[in-house]
Amino acid sequence: MFLADSDIQSIWLTVRLALAVTAILLILGTPVAWWLAHTRSRLKGILGAVVALPLVLPPSVLGFYLLLAMGPGGPVGHLTSILGIGALPFTFWGLVVASVFYSLPFMVQPLQNAFESIGEQPMDVAATLGASKLDAFFTVALPLTRTGFLTASILTFAHTVGEFGVVLMIGGNIPGVTRVASVQIYDHVEALEYGQAHNMAAVMLIFSFIVLLVLYTWRPNAMKMSRRD
Amino acid sequence: MQLSMKTKKTFGAFTLTTDFTVSGERVGVFGVSGSGKSTLVSMLAGLVEPDSGEIILDGLPLYSSAKRINLRPEQRRIAMVFQQHCLFPHLSVKNNLLYGFKRCPAELRTIDFDALVGVLKLEELLGRGVTNLSGGEKQRVALGRAILANPRLLLMDEPLSALDDSLRFQIIPYLKTVSEHFGIPYLFISHSLVEMRLMTETTLVFEKGVMLEQTTGEQLARSRMGSSQVGYINLLKLGRPSPESGLFSYPWGGSRLLFTAGSERDSCTAELSSKDIILFKQHPEAISARNLLECRVRLLFNSGRKIGVELDCAGNTLIAEVVQDAVSELNITPGSTVYAAVKASAFRMLPE
Repeated sequence: MFLADSDIQSIWLTVRLALAVTAILLILGTPVAWWLAHTRSRLKGILGAVVALPLVLPPSVLGFYLLLAMGPGGPVGHLTSILGIGALPFTFWGLVVASVFYSLPFMVQPLQNAFESIGEQPMDVAATLGASKLDAFFTVALPLTRTGFLTASILTFAHTVGEFGVVLMIGGNIPGVTRVASVQIYDHVEALEYGQAHNMAAVMLIFSFIVLLVLYTWRPNAMKMSRRD
Repeated sequence: MQLSMKTKKTFGAFTLTTDFTVSGERVGVFGVSGSGKSTLVSMLAGLVEPDSGEIILDGLPLYSSAKRINLRPEQRRIAMVFQQHCLFPHLSVKNNLLYGFKRCPAELRTIDFDALVGVLKLEELLGRGVTNLSGGEKQRVALGRAILANPRLLLMDEPLSALDDSLRFQIIPYLKTVSEHFGIPYLFISHSLVEMRLMTETTLVFEKGVMLEQTTGEQLARSRMGSSQVGYINLLKLGRPSPESGLFSYPWGGSRLLFTAGSERDSCTAELSSKDIILFKQHPEAISARNLLECRVRLLFNSGRKIGVELDCAGNTLIAEVVQDAVSELNITPGSTVYAAVKASAFRMLPE
């Protein structure tokens, strides 16, 4: 078979992780991006910098601090213990939490750009036509920024799939639980299983190329549609 | 409609102060760029919160800093037609029109969708998207969308400034007709004296964030004539022209006017600037201007460094402008007779 069962298992785990992270970030990242796009607060710079930190921070640094925070002695670990969830490190949901932080800019920044590009006037128009803010968001802002949402979702999904440093720090290498595709490739290479490493790497390469191809061929037209008026 | 606004709003170095009560169905807000017009309508619509004060519309407090009242825009039922039409590009013409209509409580809906579509002549456009409509069509849809929200007041924030002249004069009748037809009062914002005359009965004049006066569009145009680059624009209602000596002769009340340009229409409107009229005390012996009208001076008025002369030309009214010296030399007084000369090329035909 082209891929071993353990490879398929790691790919499936990676897909589940990426889907969960994308869904969570759609919910958490949208209000953050909206606030960043519309606020005149002095805190905008600080929050913007915090959101962008994972872009420049070595994954091991982020992973280290998250490990400390989520560990038994950390504030998050303490909280999860009180809630009866237990420690998050080396669990699937620990990976999800870490990946949410790590992929945050890939969701927030495209959405912020999309919200800024439509300006405030469509929301003002909707308000004068009787729409509440939430109504106007779902009936005006969301359709006008759908391209931004698709871009942000694809980038977040793809970035989560490609994570290595953070997931290794937080999740370790537990088959079926935390061993994602990138870690599986690392394992194959360490075990000198270059053939299997090739197969997995090829899957990742093709996946990444398709994602970028979709973004670069489809996105410009879609953006033009949303801005032509 | 009765609107009372006593507010203060500061943006950096700019402060807008309002303190007025105005009544009427067709109210204008006039001012040059930076006078605070748009801030005023934004505060009225609830899009900008005043720093302090009170806004009361027909007895209903929309905002009161003392009583801590600040109705949200969607609670005010004040619709707006913006400078740029701001149609929703993801919705069809019909769904744009219905956006506010659907959000208006059923018991408050008094405007019939089909009737409005008929008045605005939008029947053929309903199924289309909005991105490929012409500028005039887009502004008609924006107007219809605002009216269908069944507002208690319609705000029009320079709705004609993004349109060229031909579209501007096509849209003006729609703006007036729709508002009158459906009984919705409006506040019309513009920096155009002609638009103020055509669209409003009462005009609030703002400059540098302060209201200078409450007047009429006509009075405003006359008082600004002397300082306006285009002068006072006379709007002449004309009949169907007939050819005459290589020109076109238009019936104008009891007179005829010669134009260089012709029209196939039975009736039309032409612009003539007060600057393009030359007055003679006596009938000139020979003159190159093709139009020479015997007129009676109705009245004189001051307008900056110029004197406006209201003329009665066989029942029609013309406003000409002269300098003070000319008034003295020609002895122009109310009741006196003068001759008004106008070149055939001085008229500008307005589009239908």
